[in-house]
Amino acid sequence: MSADDESFHPLGEEWEGELETMLDDTEYDSDLGMEMAKDAMRVTKGELSEAEFHEMYHDDVMEEFGEDNRPTEEAYEEMQAAEEGTVSRMLSKFEGDGEDSRRDAMKKMGAGAAAVGLGAWGTVDDGEPEAAVADTQQQVEEPDGTQWGMTIDLERCDGCLSCVTACQQENQTDQGVNWMYVLAFEDDTTEGGSPAPDVRGGMDGYNMLVRPCQHCTDAPCEKVCPTTARHTREKDGLVLTDYDVCIGCRYCQVACPYGVNYFQWDEPQEATEEEIADQMGVEPGEEGDHMMDERGRWVDSRAPRGVMSKCTMCPTRQDGLMGDDRIGTTACEEACPPDAIQFGDVNDERSDAHQHGEYPSKSRAIIDIVRNVPSPEAIDGILSEDDDLESAIEAFEDDEDDDLDRELVSIMKAIEIVSDREEPPEETNDTILEQEQTVLESVDALEEYVDLESEDVLAELQLGDGSEDDANLRLRQYAGVAGSSFKLLEDIGTNPNVTYIGQNPGPNAEQVDGPVAYDDIGQTDDRKEVLDEGTVGDAGVSL
Amino acid sequence: MSTKTPTEEDILRPTEGFSKKYFVLFGVCALALGAFLVGWMIQLRDGMVVTGLSDWGSGGGVTWGLYIGAFIWWVGIAHGGIILSAAVRLLGMDRYMPVARLAEMLTLAGLSAAGFYILVHMGRPDRMVTSVLGHYHITVNNSPLVWDVTVITAYFVLTATYLGLTLRYDISRLRGQLPSFAPQVGGVQFPDLYGKVYDMLTLGYTEKEDEVIERMVWWVALAIIIMAPLLLHGGVIPWLFAVLPNYPSWFGAIQGPQFLTIALTSAISGVILVSYAFRRAYDWDHIITDDIFRGLLLWLGFFCLLFLWLQLQQLTAGSFAPTVDHATATDSKFSHPMYVVPMLMVVSVLAFIFATVLRPSLFSKGRAIVAGVLVLIATLVEKTYFVLSGFWYPTFSIYEATPGDYFPSAIELLSLAGTIGMVVLFFLVISKLVPVVELHAVEHLRGDHGHGEHEPSDEHAGEPEVEA
Repeated sequence: MSADDESFHPLGEEWEGELETMLDDTEYDSDLGMEMAKDAMRVTKGELSEAEFHEMYHDDVMEEFGEDNRPTEEAYEEMQAAEEGTVSRMLSKFEGDGEDSRRDAMKKMGAGAAAVGLGAWGTVDDGEPEAAVADTQQQVEEPDGTQWGMTIDLERCDGCLSCVTACQQENQTDQGVNWMYVLAFEDDTTEGGSPAPDVRGGMDGYNMLVRPCQHCTDAPCEKVCPTTARHTREKDGLVLTDYDVCIGCRYCQVACPYGVNYFQWDEPQEATEEEIADQMGVEPGEEGDHMMDERGRWVDSRAPRGVMSKCTMCPTRQDGLMGDDRIGTTACEEACPPDAIQFGDVNDERSDAHQHGEYPSKSRAIIDIVRNVPSPEAIDGILSEDDDLESAIEAFEDDEDDDLDRELVSIMKAIEIVSDREEPPEETNDTILEQEQTVLESVDALEEYVDLESEDVLAELQLGDGSEDDANLRLRQYAGVAGSSFKLLEDIGTNPNVTYIGQNPGPNAEQVDGPVAYDDIGQTDDRKEVLDEGTVGDAGVSL
Repeated sequence: MSTKTPTEEDILRPTEGFSKKYFVLFGVCALALGAFLVGWMIQLRDGMVVTGLSDWGSGGGVTWGLYIGAFIWWVGIAHGGIILSAAVRLLGMDRYMPVARLAEMLTLAGLSAAGFYILVHMGRPDRMVTSVLGHYHITVNNSPLVWDVTVITAYFVLTATYLGLTLRYDISRLRGQLPSFAPQVGGVQFPDLYGKVYDMLTLGYTEKEDEVIERMVWWVALAIIIMAPLLLHGGVIPWLFAVLPNYPSWFGAIQGPQFLTIALTSAISGVILVSYAFRRAYDWDHIITDDIFRGLLLWLGFFCLLFLWLQLQQLTAGSFAPTVDHATATDSKFSHPMYVVPMLMVVSVLAFIFATVLRPSLFSKGRAIVAGVLVLIATLVEKTYFVLSGFWYPTFSIYEATPGDYFPSAIELLSLAGTIGMVVLFFLVISKLVPVVELHAVEHLRGDHGHGEHEPSDEHAGEPEVEA
């Protein structure tokens, strides 16, 4: 960057010159592009409002490109209120949303102008214009955008393999294509497995590992792909495979340290594309066919022959193409009986993934008690003004429908003490904070009648002096001390977006027979057994 | 050394007529290639399931196998051929001039076989152009596989240019004695088809260009000799593996030099075999002399030594105080026959070459051939083991189905016969078209040209002995 030249771009005059040359090579007006880029810079500096920027170039844009789908000024201000606008957003509004159309828009703007504009955005964003310019070829990083991921509570996994089956059925994957794979393991330090927590789920004597794709932020599979078929979806960080682009070289499978990829060695056995779309009540190629995502790229359900597949974290659901109530959920998460899988936006502190990862004891307790907590209406109906803890519990003992014992009150109150009373996010169907609200409403209702704050009562509820520390201690006592929180192979630098709670498998860890065998539930563990049937001249031996 | 004087007629002999043996060899090779092509068609029809491959991890197999092992092997063979030829030009190693063009041709044939393996290995080869070229500007920044395709293509173009340029001198001078073929089909007289090829190769030739071409060829040779070891077999091919931290048997800085030694040993072996075949077929004892084989064998010994030395480095570093994953990978090397046997083969070749240095009478061309064949088998098996061992002993080795099972299917095994057949066919065809020994070489052997003295070349050939 130079301070003394007259350039408007932070990378200086020379860079601008290069961009102008690039613009000259396009079919569109270079001067307009450079002018717009210049003013886009001013927008980022706050010298010009977005609405003004919009208005200034409307006529020119119409003349040059024949369309200006950017929001009108009013819509603009509306959007501004919702979220701070960016140059990239303005550019993207030339045509719809999403990565591809943004690229189209860039083409229309002239690659140079787009680079100038985005470079400028990068400057205010993180002060690294070079990095931001380089990124325009790949993806534009949005550090605070949605990043789907999971927190998986291994101590609550009971190895039932429900998630494996649910994934296989949702995506129609072949036998042995275990996008979701669950295994029990032992290593020298953990023989016998860790004890199950007292709450629902878990399996004494087993260490479990639940292994979906880790949807890494720095995905090595994506880096090595010779085609860009393996890519990170810009809007939500899902690492997906474009089945229409993949050439089946399998280098992604080689580069992935976790072994989550499954190649489609032959014709898919479970369902044709017509059958997959038919289950959604549409024709293949139509929106919501469970194959095309909202960008129109074929990234969901089992792969066709000759290309790579892996866990997708259900983009059709995340795009709302299975209904709004499925956004923020995955097939495996829904199927997990002890709620060991918590899916959500890991960048949102209110998401299930974040809540369960940060406050596992509270979260476990909420999941465990929420179904037993009497509703505020029930409390109102059963209790009266002069009740104390003793009499309230007695009153519930006499009630046929609802129960309330000392332990339940203790845990409810403990949750209330540690809670920040944060609202659950809208639209993403996160359940932990929602369930926490249910618990809190009941605690509030209970406290209308019963004093839960006095020294004696707190002592009776094993909540010490009612401090957060004491409440947390009580929750840990109840829900078990959560094991360490870890990510798989963190030292390899992939920055996975799946966080685990429990026993981190060491380098000597070896899979052992789990509580439920794959055969028992109609699934295949070792795919080689299936594939050997298709091998021409299978020697029946191994090197 | 023969007392016969090399002549133009000698080097033109392959282009004259077809012998019965030629047809038999052609038929066998065509059959091998054809059989594999049928196998490939079956693979295209039914999918890659026809191979013995599976997914690594819970899938109980390996995802790359013999196809990739053989791909590396062919690139290696291709590699050294041109290095040898470039060394003749740059370092004045005129002793090897008679085999230089064969080496260049081996490079083109080997690269073609390797390129073919890239296609055969893919699930959707039909998308090669749209998916790879279409995103090239993005993927070339990250993907080692794209680097490979780039460098192999560049290497192929350089070699073909090199060969094309040097052929102009020969063809323009020997044009009158080269074959012609002007068929008459159904009353239509076709022009001389050979002539068309020669016209194209010598387009715009004048004697004035000889000096210019010689300088151009020198620069191309320089480019090749820099690019080949640094970028190809010492670069992008090993980087396919060496940059992945999750496979202890692959990861690390030594794979570049290690691959280079493997390339050079297999390439020199390849040149020994091809040269011997031509010498035998066309009585070229006085052109491709025993001296050349002795020299090539010494170089082979030198590179075998380097090869074993780098293997030793890996075994030492992998077993003294290794990490858990590294220990498993190294343990396998000490016990797996696919590693131990090739090492013993190379050791025995090295021992034999040492012995011939101490007692020259131990040398015979037959033994040199055996040494070449042993090295070629050893490098193919070792390279295939290398590929498999990555998937067998990954860092994340928790899966019960890891290490996975693998045995090449009939189609995969047939690919070896098919590509060897393809390379031999390449030589059978090209030797009918153009001289496979340079005119320069004949002139040099006759002493027509002042192409440097014999002494310095002997010095170069002596180097391995000194090193050894």
